[in-house]
Amino acid sequence: MKRLLQRYLHIFQLFAVIIPASGQQDVKGLVYGKGDGRPIAGATVSLRYGDQQVITGQDGLFTFVLPVNQKEILISHIAYDQKLLSVSTTDTSLLRIGLHEKTALIEEIQVSTGYQTLPRERATGSYSHVDENTFNRQVGSDVISRLETTVSGFAVDRSTSAGNRIQIRGINTLSPSMMGPLVVVDNFPYDGDIDNINPNDVESITVLKDAPAASIWGARAANGVIVITTKKGRFNRPLTLDFHSNVRIGNKPDLSYIQQISSDDFIDVEQFLFEQNYFNSQINSSNRPALSPVVELLIKRQTAAPEEIQTIDGQIERYRTQDVRNEFRQHMYRHSLDRQHALQLGGGSETMNWRATLGADNNISTLEQRADRYNIRLSNSYKPFSTLTLNSNIAYTYRKNQNGKKGYGEVGKNNQYIYPYARFVDDDGRALSIDRDVRSVWAESLAGGNLLDWKYYPAEDDRHVLNRRSLDDIVLNLGVNYRLLKGLELDFKYLFERQLENGENRYGEQSAMARNIVNRFSQIEQDQSVKRIIPEGAILYLSDGRQQANNLRLQANFERSWHRHELYALLGGELRRTTYRGGTHGLYGFNDKTLTFANIDYTREYPVLNGSVTQQITNYDGRSETRNNFVSYFANMSYTYAGRYTLSGSVRRDASNLFGLQTNDQWNPFWSAGLGWKLSEEAFFKNDDVPYLNLRATYGASGNINPSMVAVTTIAYIGTNSYTMGPIANINNYYDSELRWEQTRMFNLALDFRTKNSRLSGTVDFFFKKGRDIFGPALLDYTGGIGTTKTKNVAGTAGKGADVDLKGIAARSRNFEWSVNLNLAMVRDRVASYNLSNKRGSNFIGTTSSVNISGVEGRPVYSVYSYKWAGLDPQTGDPRGYIDGKVSNNYAQLTGVATQLEDLIYHGPANPTLYGALGNMLTYKGLSLDFRFVYKFGHYFRRQSINYQQLFSNWMGHSDFSRRWQSPGDEEWTDVPALVYPTAANKNAFYAGSEVLVEKADHIRIQYINLNYNLGSILSNKGTVIKSLALYVNAHNLGTIWTANKKGIDPDHYFGLFRTVPPPIYTLGLRVGL
Amino acid sequence: MKKLKLNIIGLCLLLYTSCEKYLEEPSDRSFAVISKLNDLQALLDHNSMAIAPKAGEASADNYYLTDTDWESLSIEQDQQTYIWASENVFQAGESTNDWSNLYRAVFVANTVLEEIESMEKTDRNASQWNDIKGQALVLRAVSFLDAAQIWSVVYDPLTADREIGIPLRVKSDFNIPSYRADLKETYNQINHDLLSAIPLLPPEGIAKTRASKGAAYGLLARSYLWMGDYANAERYADSCLQINSELMDYNDMNQTVNNPFPSRNIEVVMERRASLGMLMAVGRAKIPQEILDLFDDSDDLRRTLFFREMADESIAFKGFYSSSALIMSGVAVDEMLLTRAECAIRQDEIEQGIDDLNRLLEKRWKTDRYIPIVVTDKQEALDKVLLERRKQLLFRGHRWMDIKRLNREGAGIDLKRRLKGKEYRLTANSSRFALPLPDDLLQYYPD
Repeated sequence: MKRLLQRYLHIFQLFAVIIPASGQQDVKGLVYGKGDGRPIAGATVSLRYGDQQVITGQDGLFTFVLPVNQKEILISHIAYDQKLLSVSTTDTSLLRIGLHEKTALIEEIQVSTGYQTLPRERATGSYSHVDENTFNRQVGSDVISRLETTVSGFAVDRSTSAGNRIQIRGINTLSPSMMGPLVVVDNFPYDGDIDNINPNDVESITVLKDAPAASIWGARAANGVIVITTKKGRFNRPLTLDFHSNVRIGNKPDLSYIQQISSDDFIDVEQFLFEQNYFNSQINSSNRPALSPVVELLIKRQTAAPEEIQTIDGQIERYRTQDVRNEFRQHMYRHSLDRQHALQLGGGSETMNWRATLGADNNISTLEQRADRYNIRLSNSYKPFSTLTLNSNIAYTYRKNQNGKKGYGEVGKNNQYIYPYARFVDDDGRALSIDRDVRSVWAESLAGGNLLDWKYYPAEDDRHVLNRRSLDDIVLNLGVNYRLLKGLELDFKYLFERQLENGENRYGEQSAMARNIVNRFSQIEQDQSVKRIIPEGAILYLSDGRQQANNLRLQANFERSWHRHELYALLGGELRRTTYRGGTHGLYGFNDKTLTFANIDYTREYPVLNGSVTQQITNYDGRSETRNNFVSYFANMSYTYAGRYTLSGSVRRDASNLFGLQTNDQWNPFWSAGLGWKLSEEAFFKNDDVPYLNLRATYGASGNINPSMVAVTTIAYIGTNSYTMGPIANINNYYDSELRWEQTRMFNLALDFRTKNSRLSGTVDFFFKKGRDIFGPALLDYTGGIGTTKTKNVAGTAGKGADVDLKGIAARSRNFEWSVNLNLAMVRDRVASYNLSNKRGSNFIGTTSSVNISGVEGRPVYSVYSYKWAGLDPQTGDPRGYIDGKVSNNYAQLTGVATQLEDLIYHGPANPTLYGALGNMLTYKGLSLDFRFVYKFGHYFRRQSINYQQLFSNWMGHSDFSRRWQSPGDEEWTDVPALVYPTAANKNAFYAGSEVLVEKADHIRIQYINLNYNLGSILSNKGTVIKSLALYVNAHNLGTIWTANKKGIDPDHYFGLFRTVPPPIYTLGLRVGL
Repeated sequence: MKKLKLNIIGLCLLLYTSCEKYLEEPSDRSFAVISKLNDLQALLDHNSMAIAPKAGEASADNYYLTDTDWESLSIEQDQQTYIWASENVFQAGESTNDWSNLYRAVFVANTVLEEIESMEKTDRNASQWNDIKGQALVLRAVSFLDAAQIWSVVYDPLTADREIGIPLRVKSDFNIPSYRADLKETYNQINHDLLSAIPLLPPEGIAKTRASKGAAYGLLARSYLWMGDYANAERYADSCLQINSELMDYNDMNQTVNNPFPSRNIEVVMERRASLGMLMAVGRAKIPQEILDLFDDSDDLRRTLFFREMADESIAFKGFYSSSALIMSGVAVDEMLLTRAECAIRQDEIEQGIDDLNRLLEKRWKTDRYIPIVVTDKQEALDKVLLERRKQLLFRGHRWMDIKRLNREGAGIDLKRRLKGKEYRLTANSSRFALPLPDDLLQYYPD
């Protein structure tokens, strides 16, 4: 039809050119998108008054014959804001007309649930949609990190664990392993590594947030679903080619952020401990633990001659001026360099379309770790008849990761902490050693020096270590869509995925790791010769894994409208099977030139050199195999009356082989129902200022179960007993007759609106959640034999909150536009009921490596509690708390039975209760500036401070040490306890959990700034083949601009010990379209 | 069209019928629902079933710490243990400690005992069936016996039904609250389990980590010895020695190495191992002079095989029966000989007792240098055998109970620790010889 019209118009134009009517005028113009500068095909150019119109061609060009006395033309396109233009009659040059993409395309947005694509308007559920443009304003090679700033209600939890867990609308369960959302790529759950997906391939992302999510996707969707749709070809499209390339350069991390004890203070402490004979037991220990250089010097000093003493003291004084952070800066860290290239080709005829993409990512981290990814994706659609469509999609990903150097917190004792005065390289550039595994003084005295060098060289050890991981992932999608009758389609979809992973950790002969193991098992004979149980050579650990998924879906879609009724329905079933097969393998004494290795007797025990035990050599060989089968049935329907009232519903039943042995227990139904009311269509409402207003509500029930829990006692075979040579097993799941599904119900009420000209548009959602039979750790008397806790259906939860997503245009003129986007989420989750059997205060405090799930009725799932603080003891500088209202320093009692839950101070939640992002986009002609702030409010975190136990035994000190209590009166200005030897774990735990270390975590950060310059419209003017060209610069990880705590701590990057803030990354990029 | 419909119907049917099979496939190949005797054996063979507690040895008088050794202990609860503190001797929430290790084994034993009843015993599998059941009974008994040694006072026939024993868990269901039995019930349960196991077990297991008839006899002897029932103790020690009687000749041992004795050597009847922990670590724990003085005869090989001099000239123990610095507290031939000897003498069979002692010591002294003891006085004979028991069973997990039971007989052994000028005392027959329970568990055991 359109073509016909076009053809007709061309003929008309032809006439118009041949016979120019007097007074008429030719107007030539180019219509292009302001966002990407690409020409817009199919835009309608019409008279403001009159019915004459033309449609722009593929090149965006049009010629229009303007009648006499008519000056105003209207340019419109479904995806762009209409534009009214007054044409000058004297100017005959080409008109360049830029159209703004419609902001807040509430009506036009198509959301995909993974089972169907439907107009957002018709959906009653809460679906957040992220389009390609918004998505691509951020750089970075992974998909998920780009969502945090763009989807309201989407958060990455960096406060309760180091795992960066994704949360959609807060927390529903008390089991961390059950908290993540389901990721769906091209209609099927994605079992591969999400980092395999090239963000350049992403066309759109829909995040399902409310009850329909689970009734559509089942148990795994209880925490929301992220539906990713990749780019596909389109019918009737000429050949297009797009090229995207960018280079990202990142700073070295700021190590001054690490609150490390000064070398001066640390050496003072070592000298003090030495005088207390603290190191004697280590010196005498048969494990021969490594001692720091100062302690070694102090040992030497005891028996040294006077002149030697002077040298030793001089050396110690030199150590005081050294800072290991400088060594890390100079010899370990570098600027990161990431390169990304993507090439996309596509085209389509009436019956067929195709799209091919190629992507290459090459990243080198600040520690020189390499990560490379190559993607190829080919999608095809073929429509032999109007009733039949065949789709195929093949994607192949190859990834390779390689280790680099060791960063702060990875060098030293237990590969974690190092004395602050260590040096890695001497003034002549030679790598220096540190003692890590044993005292080298002792090692060198053994066997006439015939052992291997037992020292560790941080600056060059990485040269001897090769840790590689490679991954091949192939995904094959096939689809057949057949229109059986008018409005009834049969849809068949099949997915096959195979991911192969290979890991290789090669510790070369010269690596500290290989030398340590060889030495440890070396036997020194009577004649001082060395017999090596593990021969010299590399140690090689290999791992392989094969993950395979088969999905089969059969679905019938029905769609019909008659009179004032519209009905859409789908019904289907699905089979899904995922298998994993993998193993590990270890080789000792490996020679990579000859590929030979040593034969090891893993059953024998050998005495070890550094220790008084005999040990077996660790056997790394193992295999594992898992298979998960799922069967699901689902139905989905929506009915709309008069274009105003929508009723929708969905049901699903799921079963899998995970949930237990009885098939009856495996089935669990999910359902949801929804209502929509388009108020703006009602006669009584009709309002030109608010052309769109829609109310919607959903309610639904879902369930969740921890796949690792089954209702029977199971055992796991874990290896071989070296004495009986028979297999050994342990019990890994305990029969619990009370095991039930978690039940969650959610109610969602939402309002969508848009004002005139899309000046302001948005969505406001309110939600209420209730959970029953929630899994949580139930405390047990461990005399029962299965540990201190068992996960049981113990709790009830309740949550409520709101998601707000607003888009507005703050200012707009002919060439300039300033648009603003605000995401705001408010979440309050609380534990509604919990049968706590133990209310000892210390259970609710947590440590620096975790925030405990508190499970206190009426409080958030993750709460921050602390011990009440009674100040430092004015006499001793020891921390003090309260027992029964009296000041006490009985730390065993304070951290033990004497402090119950009600004696603790409750500060607030560990996760933010109000968070979101504020984006600004300023456009002037082809230039656009985009910057986004992210904010998180209402939560608390525990600051770290000095832990004397760690300081004494693990070389781990905190700079708070310099602010410690030293003499009476100091308690007036400091809360840092005095240095006292010996120290007790309880004392340190009390201080670490005390109220003085809890801080508000509220903060605002600037996430990125993006400057984009679009040259496309200029170029196409000159008739070049290049249709669009854009250059951009981007800066992200720009850090906080405001924090509630005034200690310079970024609460989002503080979890765990000695973390650094991700350094800023600067990107330069180019997009070309042909 | 019709064909398509048929195909769809066919597919649906196929889906439906294959569902059940499809859903009952195990999700992890290495996971199994207990269904075979071999599954039960694999549970019993798990290394952690042979972990013995260390608190008894740590509380006994075989070692001492200097002030700096004690101060440098990084775990406060170890410091507390050393001074026999009445609370805070377990790290809070710690899930692997003496208590949890023992009761974990009890849980596994109970699981095996329950599961095996649902497995059919046939002619073909009868010996394995019996063997596994016997092993589980012994595992439960030895775990209770170890627990009773540490957390209850010594058995006294006159007061045993009034003294607090240990929680006796005889069902695997962890939801059942623990029942803390009295001492009489405790020992009845132990002896009953062991006696039930004896007819089921083979004389010797295929590995010394598994219980055998010999092990069950040995543990019975130990249990009766602790109860003061010397007749039964002698009887079962004798039964054990009928099966296992070989002794190592210490002349064959290498005196220069750090761990002269191999693990699972011929004297070991059933192996159980306890770690030394931080408290008794080689290099920290020092051997008191009064113990060293017991080995004053240069012909006694144990002087050089049991001890080594450290860099700081202190003396550390090295005579572990495990080729590692680990306490081997399982049943062994030397222990059985010493038990039989003691019980015989206590029942006035002095000559018989001294014979056993001579038989042992002959293999402990340099070849041909040992002069057999000849004693006729009962007290003198008893003193001799108890002295040799003290010497031979150093760091073998016996001393703590020996102090308790000898004090019951009036030995009056008071324990003393000196630290930083302060003296800590544990007087004979004090109720504090029953060590404190983990503080976390006090709410479950209010008394």
